[in-house]
Amino acid sequence: MTNEKKYIKTSTIADAISEAIKNSNSFRFVAGGTDIFPNKFQENDTSDCFIDIADIEELKQITYTKDYLNIGALTTLETLKNNEFIAQNFPTLLEAANSVASPVIRKSATLGGNLLCENRCHFYNQSAWWRQAAGHCLKCGGDICLANGGKKYCFSKFVSDTAIALISFNAKIEIVSPEKTEFLYLEEIYSGDGIQHLLLEKSSIIKSIQIPLNIIYKSVFKKLQQRKSLEFSSLTTCITVFKDNKIKIVAGAIAPKPIFVVGALKDDFSELITSIAKNSKIVENDSYSRVYRKNMIRVLLNRSIKEIQLTEK
Amino acid sequence: MKQISLNINNKFYNILVDEHELLSNVIREKIGLTGTKIGCEQGSCGACTVLVNNKAVLSCITPAISCDKAEITTIEALAENGKLHKLQKKFVEKGAIQCGFCTPGMVMTAINLVPELNKNDSPEKLRQQIKEGISGNLCRCTGYKKIIDAIVEYTLDESYKQEDSKFNSIKKLKTVGIPRPYIEAESKVKGEAEFADDIYIKNSLHCKFLRSIYPHAEIIEIDTSEAYKIKGVRYIAIGNELPITFGVLPISQDENAIAIKKVRYVGEIVAAVAADTEEIAAKACQLIKVKYNPIKEFLTIDESLADAGENEKIHEYGKFNNNIQKKAELRFGDQQQGFKDSEITSRMSFEFEGINHGFTEPHASTAFWDENGLTINTATQVPHYLHRALAKVLEVPLSRVRVIKPYIGGGFGGKSDPFAHEIIVAYLSRKTGKPVKVRLSREEVFLTNHGRHPTKMTVEMGFSNDGIIQALDADVAIDGGAYGSFGVVTTYYNGVLLQAPYKLSNFGFRTYRVYTNKPQCGAMRGHGAVNSRFAVESIIDEISYKIKIDPCELRMKNFLDSNTLTVGQYRITSNGSRESLQKVMDLSDWKNRFGKLEKGHGLGVACGFFISGSALPIFWNELPQSVVHLKLDFDGRVLISSGSSDIGQGSDTMLAIIVSEVLGISMENIFVLAGDTLLTPVDFGSYSSRVTFMAGNAAKDATENLKKEIIASVANQKHAIGKELNFENDRIFTNDKSVDLSWMEAVEILTAKRGAVSVSGKYISPKLGGDFKGAGAGLSPSYSFGACVTEVKVDLETGQVDVINIWGAHDCGKAINPLAVEGQLEGSWHMGMGQAVSEQMKYYKGLLLNNNFLDYKIPTSLDTPDINSNIIETMDPEGPFGAKESGEGAIHPVIPAIANAVYNAVGVRITKLPICAEDILTKISQNDLLNNKIIQ
Repeated sequence: MTNEKKYIKTSTIADAISEAIKNSNSFRFVAGGTDIFPNKFQENDTSDCFIDIADIEELKQITYTKDYLNIGALTTLETLKNNEFIAQNFPTLLEAANSVASPVIRKSATLGGNLLCENRCHFYNQSAWWRQAAGHCLKCGGDICLANGGKKYCFSKFVSDTAIALISFNAKIEIVSPEKTEFLYLEEIYSGDGIQHLLLEKSSIIKSIQIPLNIIYKSVFKKLQQRKSLEFSSLTTCITVFKDNKIKIVAGAIAPKPIFVVGALKDDFSELITSIAKNSKIVENDSYSRVYRKNMIRVLLNRSIKEIQLTEK
Repeated sequence: MKQISLNINNKFYNILVDEHELLSNVIREKIGLTGTKIGCEQGSCGACTVLVNNKAVLSCITPAISCDKAEITTIEALAENGKLHKLQKKFVEKGAIQCGFCTPGMVMTAINLVPELNKNDSPEKLRQQIKEGISGNLCRCTGYKKIIDAIVEYTLDESYKQEDSKFNSIKKLKTVGIPRPYIEAESKVKGEAEFADDIYIKNSLHCKFLRSIYPHAEIIEIDTSEAYKIKGVRYIAIGNELPITFGVLPISQDENAIAIKKVRYVGEIVAAVAADTEEIAAKACQLIKVKYNPIKEFLTIDESLADAGENEKIHEYGKFNNNIQKKAELRFGDQQQGFKDSEITSRMSFEFEGINHGFTEPHASTAFWDENGLTINTATQVPHYLHRALAKVLEVPLSRVRVIKPYIGGGFGGKSDPFAHEIIVAYLSRKTGKPVKVRLSREEVFLTNHGRHPTKMTVEMGFSNDGIIQALDADVAIDGGAYGSFGVVTTYYNGVLLQAPYKLSNFGFRTYRVYTNKPQCGAMRGHGAVNSRFAVESIIDEISYKIKIDPCELRMKNFLDSNTLTVGQYRITSNGSRESLQKVMDLSDWKNRFGKLEKGHGLGVACGFFISGSALPIFWNELPQSVVHLKLDFDGRVLISSGSSDIGQGSDTMLAIIVSEVLGISMENIFVLAGDTLLTPVDFGSYSSRVTFMAGNAAKDATENLKKEIIASVANQKHAIGKELNFENDRIFTNDKSVDLSWMEAVEILTAKRGAVSVSGKYISPKLGGDFKGAGAGLSPSYSFGACVTEVKVDLETGQVDVINIWGAHDCGKAINPLAVEGQLEGSWHMGMGQAVSEQMKYYKGLLLNNNFLDYKIPTSLDTPDINSNIIETMDPEGPFGAKESGEGAIHPVIPAIANAVYNAVGVRITKLPICAEDILTKISQNDLLNNKIIQ
């Protein structure tokens, strides 16, 4: 028996959450849908019910106060580009957003959606037939990781590019769940488990992304990708130097969650990079090899810090 | 199901959709607007782009319900009252349309992009923004350049100055040599041209396949009983129902449409379901139970060279106790002496990954039977060979098979074999008495493959110190996958196609092809010679550094002349090698820049050549290689009927131009009917770069025959001397104007008391070549030549290679349609760049890992430099108006030119493709170590 397929359009957060509760068996929120529908095509997403939140106006506002910039979660990656305030204050966020997928996809893909983008792996992002032929991996219900042969952990890679930039800015997200509304640091929502990479309750919705203003001195974003468009990341890095001389280094696509380290400008930068590399959990699940991606962590980060130092002079 | 209302192109629809149905499906299947194409189903090619509320979206990943009450604009809405939108017009004019499959999506993306651009930006910035804007839309034909040109011109609402014709011909011609859009460009840009999946025959059933999940296994049992219980399942076919084997070559008819007894690769078809809908057929496939008994698999060349145990061989036939399918060896001159005479030698080993054609249109076919027998509409490059295969496997007379080629969304060799899916739908249609349709997913297209062979080779060359080649030896192994395909030809081509463009006296090769348990390989653009050309051009480059002769000069010293024989007795007629190389040297400012760039920045050069049509038919017979019929009727229209296949390369237009040239009539009087084995005479199809040369010559021959008829009747009636009649500007006249007829007046004279006149023309290749075994391989009535210089920047810390310039020149004899030739060249160089830097078929235990357009990395518009293309004209003595091929040969030089540029930039010799950033880094650091040691 297949369950009834549903597609429900909602226009308020409250509606969306109440539909989520009603359909708690098998649902997913859809905004741009640009990651969900390819996953559905490959039968990795088998939700019966899609709850469309794309029309919820309260998720689309971009506002700022003295201390914070608030970006509604449904802001598309393309819309970000057209916001002059963001362009002036957070050019790195625009670089990150512009590095996602392709221009047409960015017209639909939302910032919130990108933060929640499902982890990826060569052995997982395949058709149902392919996964059957390969023998199912841990992430699709099997009992062995095809990338490294292990039986315990899934190392699917975290691929949100915008998350890497936002975490480096110390951004928080505003989460509305059936019980409450709360602000969490973005990095707190990622579990590190490649199978269930989010710690969010499924029926909760990211309302907005809150970025602190006037504390950043400079930040630099880098992404390793084979082609200049269309690509998911092989390695994403962002370094932010704060006005109080703190530094936050974040890297993506090298583990099931973003890896970061916080230090001070006076710290030995090489050690900070070593800490990132040490915490990475790279497996052979990308078009670039494990060793290469690991080596590139140092290259991209050294480049980034040089760029920051250059502007200092 | 849910009812939604859509405003599609200003027409209102209330329509029932499945809750999770995709917009692309609604637009194409429910509304019937098939201009929107499906290329990948995963949002990674852009072919399905439409506007929803004036925003470009990928309709293949957009749920239809989400568009309830939305305004949707598809390609069909752009032209108003039949008049092209200005942007569409630019696409047509600039030659931005080849196969036309990506075109609708590209146009829709562009139309949404242009308002975002700032006209006042510098031209470079504008171009870069356009490149960025279309970078999610893949095109496999054009190399993007002409597409970008079209969008730039539309944005600025102006035309570039037309360059003064750089195609000035030796003899002034009327139609030949004038750049013009394809005759079908308008219907392609409007989204009206029907590709195989756009054709719906009423009452069609849909076919889906169950595919093997083992690389090599015995089939013990197939149980279809559960599958048959699903309502709507009409028939399930299994292998033993189609016991007759087929294959494109007579010597390797080794394939069954559906696997019998055993499977030989992951993805092989094990059962086929015909059902009322695709969904039902897919569901039924999941319920078919197959018991397998796995057999040891052979996944690499090395594994397949080893002795195979009893019952382990992939194919039972074959002389060897291993999985070698074919060995070929030829020796000319005295190689041993040649190497002895050499003062410097270089021997290098190379490895190449498999490459897929990556055409944007997935395979699709619909078959039905009626009183005339079988008709199949299918995406094929060679209707004729499919015609033969269908008759053979289905055991029907040749006279009961009709193959129709609709518009084809690119082929590049990948649609030139008869395919299992084509035979199966024909069979299922016969069993069910209904039309049966199949369309392959992108994953299935990759599994069907027939792409470039993964290859390993060792090549040695010897030179004298003054840079003259003394000897060449090649040892090549190619990985054929599970079946024969064109493989025996590929085996030979890897060797024989090394005997030009350089003079060789002592040359030999040993090549072999192995079967492996992977999707089969076959012919792909530049067939057989791309990888071995890479090896030779790399070695020449290596030698040039060693003996300190400029790599261009070294090549110049060794070129074959025109009108000569190669060591293996290829007859070289026209030869534009020198002109081609000189051209790219001049344009790249080679003399002033080579060797003078900073580390990480390099220039590289390479040359190549290719056949212009295989002189021998695949099925040995006495038929001409091409026949063209012309019919001229009372209306003044000349109908060309030809079995040739326009797959986006512009061959229909080429035929019309030739007829127009000979008769001096305008293109409006010419109509082309092609690629229908009932209505058109046999032509061997689009492979081996044969169409312009062979079908073009047949068209010329036919037109000359028609001209004779016109001359005879006009001369008779007007008492004129036949040879004094001129055909120009839609008139037939003598110089003294004693006869001065309009085309229609002449037609009236011709058809009086006779009616329509039909004539025929043909092309038969002259007898060529030596009389030794293997002498036939690579024989062609003519050969094309060319050269490329590329410029790269290599990131010294990441090893990433950025190709920043490609200057290419190609001797195509005479460009019948320069716009089309440039398009072919730019497409070839773009495709070659893909093989050089990013494309490869990657396997995991015989299972293709990158079976989609996200992971199989065709270069995007942002990765592709603005290619500088140059046509070299040498007027081939036997080509139609001097023309020879331009569709394949150009790919050869570009790949080694990129690798040689990398060497020039960072001193790293590339011996593996695709070029791998990681390898470059490792070798840079090894080189640095070495250099440090030398300094110490």
